[in-house]
Amino acid sequence: MFVKEWRCEYRTRYALNTLALFAFTTLVVVSFSLGPLGVDRSHGTAVLPVLLWIILLFSVAAGLPRTFVQEEETQTAMALRLSATPSALFCGKLLYNLTLVFALEVLVTPFYLMMTSLEVASPWLFAAVLAAGGYGLAAGSTLVAAIIAQARSKGTLFSVLSFPILLPLLVLAVELTRGATAGDPGGVAVPVLLLYDATITVAGLMLFPAVWNP
Amino acid sequence: MKTFLAWLLWLWLALVIVGAFFYAPVAEHFRVPGSSRIVFFHVPMAWTSFLAFIAAAVWSVMYLVRRNPRHDRSAGVAIQIGLLFGVLATVTGAVWAKIEWGAWWNWDPRQTSILASLLFYAAYLALRQSVEEPEKRARLAAAYALLGLVVTPFLFWIVPRITFSLHPDPVVNSSGKVEMDPRIQHVLYASGLGFAALFFWIHNLQCRLEALVERRAALKE
Amino acid sequence: MSAPRLQFADVRRHFGRLSVLQGVSGTVDPGEMMLVTGPNGSGKSTLLRCLAGLLATDGGTIAYQENGTPLDAAERRRRVGVVAPDLAFYAELTVEENLAFFAKLRRVSPARGLDVLGRLALPLDRLAGNLSSGMRQRLRWGFALLHSARLLLLDEPFQNFDAAGERIARELLDEHLAAGGLAVVANPSSLDFQHVATHLDLGR
Repeated sequence: MFVKEWRCEYRTRYALNTLALFAFTTLVVVSFSLGPLGVDRSHGTAVLPVLLWIILLFSVAAGLPRTFVQEEETQTAMALRLSATPSALFCGKLLYNLTLVFALEVLVTPFYLMMTSLEVASPWLFAAVLAAGGYGLAAGSTLVAAIIAQARSKGTLFSVLSFPILLPLLVLAVELTRGATAGDPGGVAVPVLLLYDATITVAGLMLFPAVWNP
Repeated sequence: MKTFLAWLLWLWLALVIVGAFFYAPVAEHFRVPGSSRIVFFHVPMAWTSFLAFIAAAVWSVMYLVRRNPRHDRSAGVAIQIGLLFGVLATVTGAVWAKIEWGAWWNWDPRQTSILASLLFYAAYLALRQSVEEPEKRARLAAAYALLGLVVTPFLFWIVPRITFSLHPDPVVNSSGKVEMDPRIQHVLYASGLGFAALFFWIHNLQCRLEALVERRAALKE
Repeated sequence: MSAPRLQFADVRRHFGRLSVLQGVSGTVDPGEMMLVTGPNGSGKSTLLRCLAGLLATDGGTIAYQENGTPLDAAERRRRVGVVAPDLAFYAELTVEENLAFFAKLRRVSPARGLDVLGRLALPLDRLAGNLSSGMRQRLRWGFALLHSARLLLLDEPFQNFDAAGERIARELLDEHLAAGGLAVVANPSSLDFQHVATHLDLGR
């Protein structure tokens, strides 16, 4: 499984570039709307966590589906179907998508914090939410990407399909992020987020064979 | 037999309507008491919408296990009807909300949940539309439906925590906390049953219709 | 040495309104080769894909067993060796890297595949994207024989081959059959084979 991920890293240049470019463009747009176009600071703190996650979500939607779509488009999917067990394939893709998402977060978040002058009261919680939330994004997106890779109109369909699935994740992540910036401990929402991550992973592992193989 | 059941269904629903307007009393603590009668239609529609989702999930599992195309068709139709009832429930809910609380939309937990589920149904149907090959479509749709099922409990958990409730909780969930006039209960549950039966009846019709369409298309070849 | 056997009965498959396979049956015993012929569109590739487990059937059964134990579709899919015109590899990796990757996925050593490619004289350090069509075909053979498959499903196996390539590929096929393996060959560029046990003609 790790082998699969490593091999994909070969072509990371294209994937990461697109992803990073998209993320930064969105980031700049968002910052403009908050800064020069003037949003009141007091409103800011409530809204800022949401915007961060929106940037992450849209970047993921722009960059992640490639992992499966490309296999279908370059027709390497046939060779994969003949060689790999579904679980190995899914785990490999998931790992790869995870690294993409985490890399994205590492790149984007510091800039976001800088440009919005957002102060984080509990940095550990903040990092934890980013990690757990990022994981959920990657896991959910991986399975949905596998689904849409075999359908038409892949780009728009991915957003349409993934949003309802990721909605609970987003809400949880935003709430916890907000808590992290404000300094409250987050409470019971954290285990639920982790539970979501676990559930999505298990569901992905169980449903992937049905999606991948005829 | 089928016609008899159909007539029975219509009779039942007619009784429900009569009961809603004449038999059940008005719930006094509402701002516009007369509007409370909408509960006999709005709530069962919402229930039926969720029933549709459960049914679709069950059929999806059955499809993945047995690979019988009929189960896939059932699942697809169930979501279609679920969407229909969901939209109706949302609309009736919004009307009631306007009357009762002055605004069409309030982001209270029930409204938010049903909106999320509508999004999901629409997404599912969009997926079905995007895949030509029947076997592939069935597989992918079933997987997506089950993914949605798995995620739904989380939605239910988080929604109440982030929105405050304008919904008349104790009254609708007569969990014994607040008295709900027994006659209102009668009509409500009767209506619920009626709508559920209506769901299965429409579902049956639509499935048969789609099967016929498929057969005709195959015969044309 | 396992004794593989393939049996399929009444296999059916349609695409929309087009009924491509209408009840095809056959048996392949150890050491046998089945030749599938027919005009374009008669379902040869479709049949092979169904046998490989890459395509679901709309009816009929496919039973493949090795050593007496029947394998389900998922296991069969991983056990067969496939050569097909639309089989593609990762253009950004070299031939050797491609082979090593698929070998790792299958948990086998790439030695066998490299061996085959050596016989077919394919340069290992060339990027798969830079291969000519004939060389791509050689890579496909390497891929198919990588894991010592007992059942070979060959769709247009000598496509794009020059005389030398075809000769070596035929040798490989003969060796496979001599060792008790099965082969189903569709769309051969020439119908000149030695041990054709069954000839399935899908022509209408």
